[in-house]
Amino acid sequence: MEASTTTKGEATSNKVLVRANEIEKTYGSSFPFTRSVTVLTDADLEIRTGEIVGIVGANGSGKSTLMNILVGVLEQDSGTVERTGTVGWCPQEPLLYDRLTVGETFRLFGSGYGMTAEEIDEAKHRLASKLDFEQYLDYRIDQLSGGNRQKINLSIALMHDPDILMLDEPYTGFDWETYLTFWDLAEELAADGTAVTMISHLIEEQSRLDRIYEVRDGQVYDVTDQEGETDATASERGEETDE
Amino acid sequence: MAGLPSMPTVEAIPIELGRLLGAIFGVAIIAGLMGLAQMISARAADRRLVQTGYPPRTLLATRLAALGGVTVVVAAVNYGVLWLTISPGAPVLTFVFLVLAGLVYAFLGALVGALLPRLFEGSLVVVFLAMMDAFLSGDSPLAADVPEFVEYFPLYHPKELLQEAMFQGTYTTGDLGFVAGYLLVLLVLVTAVFGVTMRTSGGWSA
Repeated sequence: MEASTTTKGEATSNKVLVRANEIEKTYGSSFPFTRSVTVLTDADLEIRTGEIVGIVGANGSGKSTLMNILVGVLEQDSGTVERTGTVGWCPQEPLLYDRLTVGETFRLFGSGYGMTAEEIDEAKHRLASKLDFEQYLDYRIDQLSGGNRQKINLSIALMHDPDILMLDEPYTGFDWETYLTFWDLAEELAADGTAVTMISHLIEEQSRLDRIYEVRDGQVYDVTDQEGETDATASERGEETDE
Repeated sequence: MAGLPSMPTVEAIPIELGRLLGAIFGVAIIAGLMGLAQMISARAADRRLVQTGYPPRTLLATRLAALGGVTVVVAAVNYGVLWLTISPGAPVLTFVFLVLAGLVYAFLGALVGALLPRLFEGSLVVVFLAMMDAFLSGDSPLAADVPEFVEYFPLYHPKELLQEAMFQGTYTTGDLGFVAGYLLVLLVLVTAVFGVTMRTSGGWSA
C-alpha cells in the first residue's frame, strides 16, 4: 500500500472528476421469450483527481459494463454520470484498425482528440520510447504481437494526456518489464493529478491502488479499507464466499 | 419429350440480355457485400474513434468514398468481361449505369451492415436480396406476371438504364431520376442509422 495513506488523504480533498449516481443497466432483447440480464442496480461511485482506483469483481459481475458506462460508450438505463475533464479509454480488447500502421493509428486518433501534428508526433515518440515499441512504428497493427498491440491500445488512451484514464485490464499480454513500466507510468500520472481507474484482477495489485471499488450483486461497494481480500478476489480463485 | 412442360419463352431470352443481367448481378452482389463488410469490420474501433471526438459524418464519408472506389473497380472488371462478348451501344453510359447499379447495392449493403452488424446473417440478407432482385427485375420469363411493385426493387431501374444504353445507346431520364432518388434515400438512411449506432453518452472534451 505504498503512498496509499497520503494519497488517500489528499484524494478526499481533491476534485471529483467522475460521479456516477444510481446507475442501472440490464441487457435485454426485443425478442419475446429471451432472457434479460440485470448487471447493475443502483450503482454509485466517485473518482477524484490523483487517485489510482481499482474496480474489482467476479467474472460477469459487471465491471466492464460499469466502465463502458463511465466512459460513455454504453448508455445506462437510468442514473447519471457526470464527467469533468478529458477522458482516455483503454478497452479490454484493442479496438484499433488492423490495416493502419502504428504511426497512422496515432495520427487518426490524435486528430480525433484535436491534437496538432507536432503534438501527435511528440506523444507517439514519448510513448513509444516509454513502452518500448519504437521499432514497430511503421508496422501495421495486424502485424503486431498481442502484447505490442496492447501497448498501442494503451498509448492511444494516453496520448492526449487525459484528466481521467479508464483502463480495462490494460496490461493483458505485457511482459514483466512492460508491466512494471506501466505501473510506474500510472503512478506518475496520478502524481500529476490524473485520475487513473482500472479494472484489476490481480490480488497483488490491490496494494498499489488508492481506492478499490468492488462490483457485486449489481452494486458498487467501496472496499478500500477492508482488511484482506474482497469477495471478488476470493471467488475468482473458486472459493466460497458469504455474501 | 411430350411429357416435359412447354416453356417456349425460355428459348427467346436473348443471350446478350442474360450476359447483361449477369454483369449487373455480379456488380450488385460484390458491391453489396463490400458495403456490408465496410460497416461491420471496424464497428467497435469506429465507436472508439468517434468517442475521441472524430466527426462521425467524416468517418462515414470516408467509408462511403472507399466503397465508391471499390464499386468502380468491380464495375470496371464486370464491364470488361461484358465488353468481350457484347459491343455496347453507348460504352460510357453502359459503364456509368453499371457503376450506379453497384452503388445502389453498396449503399444497401452498408445499410444492412449498420442495422444488422453480423457478417454471416448480413451476408445472407444481401445475397438473397440481390438474387431475388436480379430474378424479378430481370425480365426473366420465369418471373413473368410479377407484381408491379417490382419496379421499386433496387436493380429494376438500373437494369432498365443499362439495357437501354447497351442495346439502343440511349437512356430514359425517368429511370435515371429514380436511381438518383434511390441512392439519395439510401444515403440518408445509412447516415441516420450510422449516426445512431455511433451515438455516445457524452463527449470527452473538457
